[in-house]
Amino acid sequence: MSSSEDLSASPPNLVTPVTEVPRWRALLTNQLTVLVFILIALMLFLGNHNSRFFTSSEMSFLLADFSGLVLVAVAETFVIISGGIDLSVGSVMAVAGVLAARAMQPLINSHTNEAVVLLLGTGVALLVGMVAGAINATLIVGFNVVPFVATLAMWYGGQGLALVWTGGQPYGLNPGAQTWSAATIPGLPFLSWLSLIVIGITVVLGLVLRKARYGRYTFAIGSNNFAARAAGIGVKKYVGSFYVLSGALAGLTGMFFDIRLGSGAPTTGQTTTLIAIAAVVIGGTSLFGGSGTFLGTVLGAAILIVVQDGAIFVNVSANWVPVVVASVVAVASIIQSGRLRLRRRS
Amino acid sequence: MTDTPILELRHVSKSYGSVRALTDVSFQAFAGQIIGLVGDNGAGKSSMIKTISGVYTPDEGEILVDGTPRHWKSPHDAIEAGIETLYQDSGLAPDLTIGSNIFLGRELRRRNVLGRLGFLDQRSMETQAMEELEKVGISIGAAKRTVSELSGGQRQAVAIGRAAMWAKHVIILDEPTNHLGARQSIEVLKVMKAARDRGLCVLFISHTLPHVLEVTDRIIVLRLGRIVRDAPTSEFTVESLLGTITGLNQ
Ligand SMILES: Nc1ncnc2c1ncn2[C@@H]1O[C@H](COP(=O)(O)OP(=O)(O)OP(=O)(O)O)[C@@H](O)[C@H]1O
Ligand SMILES: [Mg+2]
Repeated sequence: MSSSEDLSASPPNLVTPVTEVPRWRALLTNQLTVLVFILIALMLFLGNHNSRFFTSSEMSFLLADFSGLVLVAVAETFVIISGGIDLSVGSVMAVAGVLAARAMQPLINSHTNEAVVLLLGTGVALLVGMVAGAINATLIVGFNVVPFVATLAMWYGGQGLALVWTGGQPYGLNPGAQTWSAATIPGLPFLSWLSLIVIGITVVLGLVLRKARYGRYTFAIGSNNFAARAAGIGVKKYVGSFYVLSGALAGLTGMFFDIRLGSGAPTTGQTTTLIAIAAVVIGGTSLFGGSGTFLGTVLGAAILIVVQDGAIFVNVSANWVPVVVASVVAVASIIQSGRLRLRRRS
Repeated sequence: MTDTPILELRHVSKSYGSVRALTDVSFQAFAGQIIGLVGDNGAGKSSMIKTISGVYTPDEGEILVDGTPRHWKSPHDAIEAGIETLYQDSGLAPDLTIGSNIFLGRELRRRNVLGRLGFLDQRSMETQAMEELEKVGISIGAAKRTVSELSGGQRQAVAIGRAAMWAKHVIILDEPTNHLGARQSIEVLKVMKAARDRGLCVLFISHTLPHVLEVTDRIIVLRLGRIVRDAPTSEFTVESLLGTITGLNQ
């Protein structure tokens, strides 16, 4: 029997087409839309309560805090979408910041060219972060240690090293660091050069996650590790790279805090791991891997920073702020888990 | 049919720790043939095809493609050699779209500077996915739907289509009619015949013996990791095949 004739006789019909949801309905039920509304509502609420909230000095403060979180949160998004987790980012930030400060300190006091000092610090921070990430990657890919354990060990060890290498005291970087962190874009007094650079890197990472092959493989690996491998993707190489990327961005964030705080302190980033993962979860990324969005994470980070910084505007005392932030994280996670369950059921 | 087998296994053995999955497996497969691979659950069928497709490396023996011994380091090498595989335990990424799955591992990049930086041409992939699938006999609604939104049978169709559209020499289908209704199963048999007519070698694994008898040119029977029979399909009936599979026929 001839099969090509069979085929033309009855048109192929293995998958029945399905009508698509209208665009406007998709947009309304889209979780990103919900996050945008929450963010706007929060800001309006705070601004309404206290007129000082919308001043450019407060906005620049918010943006700076956001910049200190968003890179690690986005890196965490790659890692979590790929089906892993990186608990070490907070400590890696501290170690990278401390070592970068240690490298920069003597130069600042000897009035070396500022650009040289900054490049050196950035280079050291980046390198330290990547080395930490590479150690995570080796444990995970080379020795099959679960990411949770490997990066937890790195987190704990990193805390220790940051203390050892500083003796508990921060490395001061002033006056240089003060002028660098204060520099803003002409005409936009709330936007510092520093934040602009961070936002630039963030946008590039977002495009890579959504539009580039690297991002595609991140999703594929988290969605079905076997399928990715069977399709010929070098899964181990990619998984390793996610942790190196995460380390690199944690390192850069460490350098960011050096400049912002005017010192390399061993206590930097103590809560960052937690807040970054919270931002990713609030943003709708599944901890099981395979799905998530860059914009969700950015919005999640923005919401958490606004809650954290805005709490004082409604007279929440400093000690209560973590409790408020934790409550927001809990509520948002409940909403997200309900959404994920709905999605899985359908 | 040419004299050199497009695919040949010579004395291949494979164990998982203490579990022996394949023992001294040898066979030859030629272009333009559909070969049935049957055997009870746990007989070693999936282990065999995963060894051919580079998921596992054989403990002993060798694999030859078109007469040349090949040593796969990963599935990537087997794909490069023109061998496509549909895995029993789904080879699709459910969170990706149909188009992204079809092009997984072979993404089209944009034809500009961005493309060189790794940025993807999603639209072309989606239109080409639809066109190419139609060519091998599978029609899908829209390639930008996520695979997790599809029914089990629809997913299976996408996976079959992917294997059929990329295969250059050998296409391996491990229980492709899983999750499929009667009519769709017939469609799959057509897809296989069309692939054979294009000159491919098709390895068809199934527990549905009437399907195997209908569509194959030759049948290999595996039992407890060994090949117990390798003969033209015309020599089998459902009863004799069943007897060989279970070992009652000897
Ligand atoms: N990843 C694995 N680790 C350990 N043992 C395995 C693994 N995969 C298969 N086996 C064992 O190898 C043997 C052959 O299994 P295989 O999956 O190849 O059988 P099969 O013929 O494909 O069966 P089925 O018809 O049920 O799909 C079985 O005893 C099975 O338990
Ligand atoms: Mg099997």
